[in-house]
Amino acid sequence: MTESNPILEVNNLFASTDDLPILKGVSITVYPGEIHAIMGRNGCGKSTLSKIIAGHPSYNITEGEINFSGKNVNSLEPEERAQSGIFLGFQYPIEIPGVSNLEFLRVSTNARRKFLKKEELDTFDFEDLVKEKLELVKMDSAFLSRSVNQGFSGGEKKRNEILQMALLEPKIAILDETDSGLDIDALRIVASGIKKIANNKTGIILITHYQRLLDEIKPDYVHVMSDGQIIKTGGSDLALELEKNGYEWTDNFVKEK
Amino acid sequence: MVNENLVKDVVKEPYKYGFVTDIETEKISKGLNEDIIRLISTKKEEPEYLLNFRLNAFKKWQQMKEPNWAELGYEEINYQDIIYYSAPKQKEKISSLDEVDPKLLETFDKLGIPLTEQKKLTNVAVDAVFDSVSIATTFREELAEHGVIFCSISEAVKNHSDLIEKYLGSVVPATDNYFAALNSAVFSDGSFVYIPKGVACPMDLSSYFRINSGDSGQFERTLIIAEESSSVSYLEGCTAPMFDTNTLHAAVVELIALDDASIKYSTVQNWYAGNEEGVGGIFNFVTKRGKCLGNRSKISWSQVETGSAITWKYPSCLLLGEESIGEFYSVALTNNLQQADTGTKMIHIGPKTKSTIVSKGISAGHSKNSYRGLVKMGTKAIGAKNYSQCDSMLIGDQASANTFPYITSQQQNSEIEHEASTCRISEDQLFYLQSRGIEFEEAVSMMVSGFCRDVFNQLPMEFAAEADKLLALKLEGSVG
Amino acid sequence: MEIIERIKTNKLFSNPTEIQKLCLKKLQSNPLPNLKSELWRLSNKSKFSNFLDFSLNGNSTNFEFPYQNNSKNIIRLIIGENSPTNINNEDYSINELNNEELIAYIKKNLSSFDQNENWSELLNLCLSFEQNILGLRIQGTKIPPLEILSHASNDYINAKTLILIVEKNCNLDLLQINLGTENSSLSHSTYLCLEENSFVNHGMVAYGEKKSNLLNSLNVIQQQNSEYNLGTLHFKFNYARFEIRIKQSSGNARTNIKGMQITKNDEQIATYTKIEFNGPNGFLDQINKSLADDKSHAIFEGSIIVPKIAQKTDASQLSRNLLLSNHAQIDTKPQLEIIADDVKCKHGATISQLNEEELFYMRSRGLTLAEASKLQLGSFFKEIISFIPVPKGRWDLLNKLLKQD
Repeated sequence: MTESNPILEVNNLFASTDDLPILKGVSITVYPGEIHAIMGRNGCGKSTLSKIIAGHPSYNITEGEINFSGKNVNSLEPEERAQSGIFLGFQYPIEIPGVSNLEFLRVSTNARRKFLKKEELDTFDFEDLVKEKLELVKMDSAFLSRSVNQGFSGGEKKRNEILQMALLEPKIAILDETDSGLDIDALRIVASGIKKIANNKTGIILITHYQRLLDEIKPDYVHVMSDGQIIKTGGSDLALELEKNGYEWTDNFVKEK
Repeated sequence: MVNENLVKDVVKEPYKYGFVTDIETEKISKGLNEDIIRLISTKKEEPEYLLNFRLNAFKKWQQMKEPNWAELGYEEINYQDIIYYSAPKQKEKISSLDEVDPKLLETFDKLGIPLTEQKKLTNVAVDAVFDSVSIATTFREELAEHGVIFCSISEAVKNHSDLIEKYLGSVVPATDNYFAALNSAVFSDGSFVYIPKGVACPMDLSSYFRINSGDSGQFERTLIIAEESSSVSYLEGCTAPMFDTNTLHAAVVELIALDDASIKYSTVQNWYAGNEEGVGGIFNFVTKRGKCLGNRSKISWSQVETGSAITWKYPSCLLLGEESIGEFYSVALTNNLQQADTGTKMIHIGPKTKSTIVSKGISAGHSKNSYRGLVKMGTKAIGAKNYSQCDSMLIGDQASANTFPYITSQQQNSEIEHEASTCRISEDQLFYLQSRGIEFEEAVSMMVSGFCRDVFNQLPMEFAAEADKLLALKLEGSVG
Repeated sequence: MEIIERIKTNKLFSNPTEIQKLCLKKLQSNPLPNLKSELWRLSNKSKFSNFLDFSLNGNSTNFEFPYQNNSKNIIRLIIGENSPTNINNEDYSINELNNEELIAYIKKNLSSFDQNENWSELLNLCLSFEQNILGLRIQGTKIPPLEILSHASNDYINAKTLILIVEKNCNLDLLQINLGTENSSLSHSTYLCLEENSFVNHGMVAYGEKKSNLLNSLNVIQQQNSEYNLGTLHFKFNYARFEIRIKQSSGNARTNIKGMQITKNDEQIATYTKIEFNGPNGFLDQINKSLADDKSHAIFEGSIIVPKIAQKTDASQLSRNLLLSNHAQIDTKPQLEIIADDVKCKHGATISQLNEEELFYMRSRGLTLAEASKLQLGSFFKEIISFIPVPKGRWDLLNKLLKQD
């Protein structure tokens, strides 16, 4: 029964950067086909959690473990995690001048395909594939000839992230504030892209603090984070509650504790 | 933190051209004096004017002082301890390639420059220079059909004496600088190119310089003349074996472009750089200069400098003709204890002249990488324009990157714009690439070649790929 | 060059002070800078010897500075004339350094001086008479703007020296005015120490009259968490050379510099700056503007030095130049020397003329070419002038620039 095995299992994770504790015991389990949302104020540790799962070198795991497809990935390099199917959609995708977007997409796609023991794609085959995926996010092929994210608008950067997700076909995608800085049309394009990529074998974690993305993509679980911990987990109605009542109570929650 | 050791490992590829060809050579005795110069001239059966050119240069050289302004640190060169002429022994007159010593052909084969009829590169004509002499030049007949002359400079002295007498030393005078004077006194061989009026050279021309002996210097001289409305693309490659002594390479390159002519000169320099402790390696002290004599003429330098213990080189353009164009695209990579002081001079003399400078310096290890350039607008350079961009990438905290742009203008109707910046491979960029599954080494080399893209775009196709690979090899292990 | 002869033969003074003796010793065997070196190669040789071709004058002649001090809100000091009264009150204090402090401070600087690089300072200290050295220690906040004036006397070379120690947490607006008079040379040096957490807005304005010469050097040490804003303006000198040396002694400091020089006729004005970061997290934002007209020559050379210890330095330097005549010349050389890898450094330089499109636009709306040029020049100047801390209206710098012929 592979269906019942979790894709991602984060167990009691503690992490710090420059000796400053950021995560203070986070646990979250994602099964195939599930959509999770993590919500919380700025600075509550949501983005850090996503970076740590993707293997960002600035953070140290001091306790706990991250299991992906049943294997501990704590010590894997970021590229190894990516190749095996962990995808992080960045909140602020970085600009890399001089590196062509097309070339970048091709190399990363092939790295993933190599891991999956699929045939690597040459330039022509890859162009066919990428054009097909461009449709998903309604991007113009002119984006491909530019440098990675350079001079892209906020919305274009986010769509470029989803394009990468479409190409890499991850098993789990953690999308860090993919909705921020998007107007409503762009938000719909991005959301429909995500929905088309997701299937009953993939897991998705949406990190956000607004309801509006969750209106488009309905989560199965909503987690509320505060001060490096998940303080409450519920169904999609929890997000509505947050929208209505705000986050203030989460601060008190920690204080009370 | 980016893993410093990992990046260091990425740069440790051994120098693969470090072998020595075991071949009987004819060398003259060490040292430099008038007799030696006369001997070189006699060996090459030179006319009187050339001997005088040499002797005059030697006289001036003796009165000159070795420059030290570039702040390059190296032990004093003993000019009496160098052999100024070394040639592989072979038959006096070679009528075809079949008579070339197979060992020599094998050498160039190993270097990836096959010369024989069956194997030679199909789209590039090659002049192969081994120590002091030119071994072979391919595609001569084909080129001759178009009136293009491509041969060693020694041959040109014999067969095209009028052109040599007219142009040799006309761009880089014998007394221009210390190393140019030395070269003018003792130059042994090099390439000569003449493109007649209206001819677009049908293929790329290329010289490949190989230093083989450890105790001889290399002093080649290249002269390229592009007549009205002609064009040529010329490539230059260099390697040398690994010796633990320093070998001096003091070349002079002169380019002349007449009305509407264009010359593109590309170099991939991969002389032996010495070992990790800085022992051995080539001292690369080169004078390269082009004269845009004609209206609307164009000279474009592109260079990828990765080798040599010390590089001291400023390919320059004298922009005399109206609307003439000068370009300089450079990537200089230094690692370990290498030192590079390189850049260009764009001297705008004629009206509406334009120049573009794009320089990318990458310093790793304990190396020192400096851009030094001059842009000058003379009083008659009405409507002239220059744009310069000099970027440095630092890898590790032991390397240094300097930028010294000298900018001067005497013409109000001209514009100069210079920009420079320094960056390093940022951790966030690396992480982004890695998080998409790209291996660390590949991510680093993608970033470095992205950094150099503006320059690589200027290189001829085969060269660009080679340069990219070369950079990746050189960088292995150096990113921190 | 009588002065140089006297330095060589050790006959400058009958009774030299301790400092003068020390400096003489450094200059005696080699009394001139190396005019072929990078720092001096562009200096006009005949103008340089013209600078030195005056007799030394230690006494102040009567000189009427413009804009008499009629406001209690400004403290005006004239080097060599009025000895400063020590001011001590609740918010702040300004006290003269005593002789030992002065000597100790100068000696500390002297030990690191190089004959060629610090020639201007060495000459200044050689020539400065005791009464022409003003040393102050400043403490506190809410200090009224401090105005410190120097001038040269006709037909003489004068040397004036200012030493200012700005103590911890102090907050100061300082305006220095150096005036040249007809046929004169002024050697002026300023030493400024910004202690931790201090904040200084510094204006350095210098202008001359016919055949005035100026050799002006400024040495600044910034301790951590200090912020130094410098606005400078040099114009109307036959020959002027302004050298700025700033050292962030342990990084973690902020430096903003906006400088400007204007040359006309056959004048030569040069600005040399050297900014050193001796610790991490330093910040520099520098812009230097030059404008050269007629047969004049404007020079800017700036270097930024970022050693290994100065990680996370953020430095930018821009040289913007306008060449307004075909007989004028502009030289510029912004330099970066970097060893640290985690830094953000950039520099840029442009040489151009007034923007033709803008001129045309204004003229198409009915302005004359002269009016349009003036407007453009005004905007070119304004960024710099508004950075110089001058109480409103006083000194009227913009008008002075636009009106000068």
